[in-house]
Amino acid sequence: MVLADLQQGQQAVITHLAVANEVVKQRLIHMGMHEGEKVCVKCVMPFGGPLMVEVDGQYICLRRKEAACIGVK
Amino acid sequence: MPSYIALFGNPNTGKTSLFNNLTGSYEYVGNWSGVTVEKKIGILRQHDVPIVDLPGIYSLQPLSRDEGVATEFLLTESFSAIVNIVDASQLKRNLHLTVQLLEFGKPLIIALNMIDVAEKRGVKVDAEKLSQCIGVPVIPVIARTGKGTEELVRTILSLTEQSGPSFSIDYGRAVEAAVQKIGEQLPDDVPVSKRWLALQFLEGNERVHAYLQTYVDVAPLRSIRDNARQTLGHSLAEHMYEVRDQWIANVVETSTVAMKQKPLTLTEKIDAIVTNKYLGLPIFLLFMYIMFMLTFDWLGSPLADLLDQFFSGPLTDWLSKLLSLIGASPFIKELVLSGIVSGVGGVLVFVPQIFILFFFISLLEDSGYMARVAMVMDRFMEAIGLNGKAFIPMIIGFGCNVPGVMATRTIEQPKERLLTILLLPFMSCSARLPVYALFAGTFFAKNQAIVVFFLYVLGIVVALGLAKLFSATLLKDESSVFVIELPPYRMPQALTLWRSTWDKGKGFVRKAGTFIFGGSVAIWLLTYVGPKGIGVSMDDSFLAVIGSVLAPILAPLGFGTWQAGASLITGFLAKEVVVSTMNIIYHAKDMDVLQGAIVQHFTPLSALSFMAFVLLYTPCLATVATIRKETGARKWMFVSIGCALTVAYTISFLIYEGGKLLGY
Repeated sequence: MVLADLQQGQQAVITHLAVANEVVKQRLIHMGMHEGEKVCVKCVMPFGGPLMVEVDGQYICLRRKEAACIGVK
Repeated sequence: MPSYIALFGNPNTGKTSLFNNLTGSYEYVGNWSGVTVEKKIGILRQHDVPIVDLPGIYSLQPLSRDEGVATEFLLTESFSAIVNIVDASQLKRNLHLTVQLLEFGKPLIIALNMIDVAEKRGVKVDAEKLSQCIGVPVIPVIARTGKGTEELVRTILSLTEQSGPSFSIDYGRAVEAAVQKIGEQLPDDVPVSKRWLALQFLEGNERVHAYLQTYVDVAPLRSIRDNARQTLGHSLAEHMYEVRDQWIANVVETSTVAMKQKPLTLTEKIDAIVTNKYLGLPIFLLFMYIMFMLTFDWLGSPLADLLDQFFSGPLTDWLSKLLSLIGASPFIKELVLSGIVSGVGGVLVFVPQIFILFFFISLLEDSGYMARVAMVMDRFMEAIGLNGKAFIPMIIGFGCNVPGVMATRTIEQPKERLLTILLLPFMSCSARLPVYALFAGTFFAKNQAIVVFFLYVLGIVVALGLAKLFSATLLKDESSVFVIELPPYRMPQALTLWRSTWDKGKGFVRKAGTFIFGGSVAIWLLTYVGPKGIGVSMDDSFLAVIGSVLAPILAPLGFGTWQAGASLITGFLAKEVVVSTMNIIYHAKDMDVLQGAIVQHFTPLSALSFMAFVLLYTPCLATVATIRKETGARKWMFVSIGCALTVAYTISFLIYEGGKLLGY
């Protein structure tokens, strides 16, 4: 399963971070998104817009394209 | 005592707030990542020690321009101590930077901020234990109010050059061996810690790579790195991150106590509404609508009228009496009353409206809503090839284009940043507001706010249309990226809001005292002298000669008079000068007289065309200079001017000729 599959309010643990774009990947890691962290989807913007997720008390907004490359369970 | 102190920390942790408290200055603060994009130097109060405030960074590997400023500073400037501001509510993430700074080897103090936020989240941080674990002083502070700064200053002053931390994490055999080997390759005269350079190089820091190139041949270093990677079996950067993470996890465990967490934070409650799937965009538009109505209709216009009455009535009378009293010559009297008072006063009457606008922009910046706006707008921005982050400089551009252009530094992709810079001048800045207020107030008195709103939207639509065009051609092979941190909401403090509003508004008032004052004198002189001599009638003046050159070109747009041409030329200095010039040209003592004069030269349709032209034509002098500096090339400056002039001419032509066809 990937992060983009989660519904609003659902929680999961990150299993792998296969984001292709290096800049985005680095940013996400710096902001605290890495393997083994708990992630919770807080809201999803309409029309395929970005998602807001919470990791360790930190709110991060990322695009669905990238969220589709982040494995969770 | 250290001789030069640098402030480092993650974005939006309160570095600039702390800097303001330490130095007594009022640098620009806000609640979003990337407020500070350039280093700022101040002096520690009462102690004569320089302090530098740097843009926020997550790590020492720069991904965007503003972050580059911090790494550049570390490598090239000779400072003597680091104050690392750490957000207690995000301890783990913040300590990743701290570790890299400790490895750098300079004396370091941790200023622990936002303990209150951490406690709300259910985490209590013990500063003393944290200090023991890391081996450097940890001082709790509240950067917004200045609590704890005295203690921090005492600790800073007690530092000696020798008190650098003897800090080292063991990264395992493979990495340590590589560090050793790289160290042997480096000459002894590198002014920066060899271990730090080696570690950053192994991690893949591009800036350090370039730095090492100036000292040694990097080819052998690269092969050391490749060997280490092979021995390790996976990415060096990931490995090093994990080692640090392990170390940090230990520190966090010993120095924090978990408390009972409160069920739902205020931020979550607010977010449930303003970033709601369906309500998000309407709420943002409503906010903008209220801002416009207050600025132009409900509050701003009545205040501007009062000010106008004061300038044209009592002030002019007093000045006139004063000038007679001191026996000023008629020339000086004319210069002061029809030149300076008309020119400068004609612009100053719009101060209330501009302050209201700035107040709302400050509110947006200080509350934490700014980053949410970027999120709400991202889907739309993606469709035109940009990202939501580009929306932040655009909003700032509504105040003034210059800081807007600076704010693009946080955009990671270079081409996306360039495009945002080029489109920024189409954002209707506050200096264009006097022009709208004058023309819309004259021709569309009943629908003033709607007409002005239309102009703002026109600017945005033009910018976005061009973005689509450019991103489909110029930027075809660069994908747009978007990741943004959303800060918790904060109740904006009255004092901060006022300072922030005043700080922006001050620029407008200062411009009135310098540029517009000087411009008014020059313009008046140009109307006073002409090819035939001094004291000629207005139509024979030099200004008329200059304006007449442009008049035939502007005729198809509906305002082919020398007066319009002359005001547009002078408007390049600053766009509000358009209004100053008209005040002087039409001998207007107050707004009523000026409105009476322009009714004779413009029709409602040509007024609309004129306002659109002022909105879109060449960015002002200050913006042009900033574009030149930020893009690093004169080429882009000319592209920006050329693009703006072409677009302005086309749109105004369409409005005027189209309107005529429709029978207006």
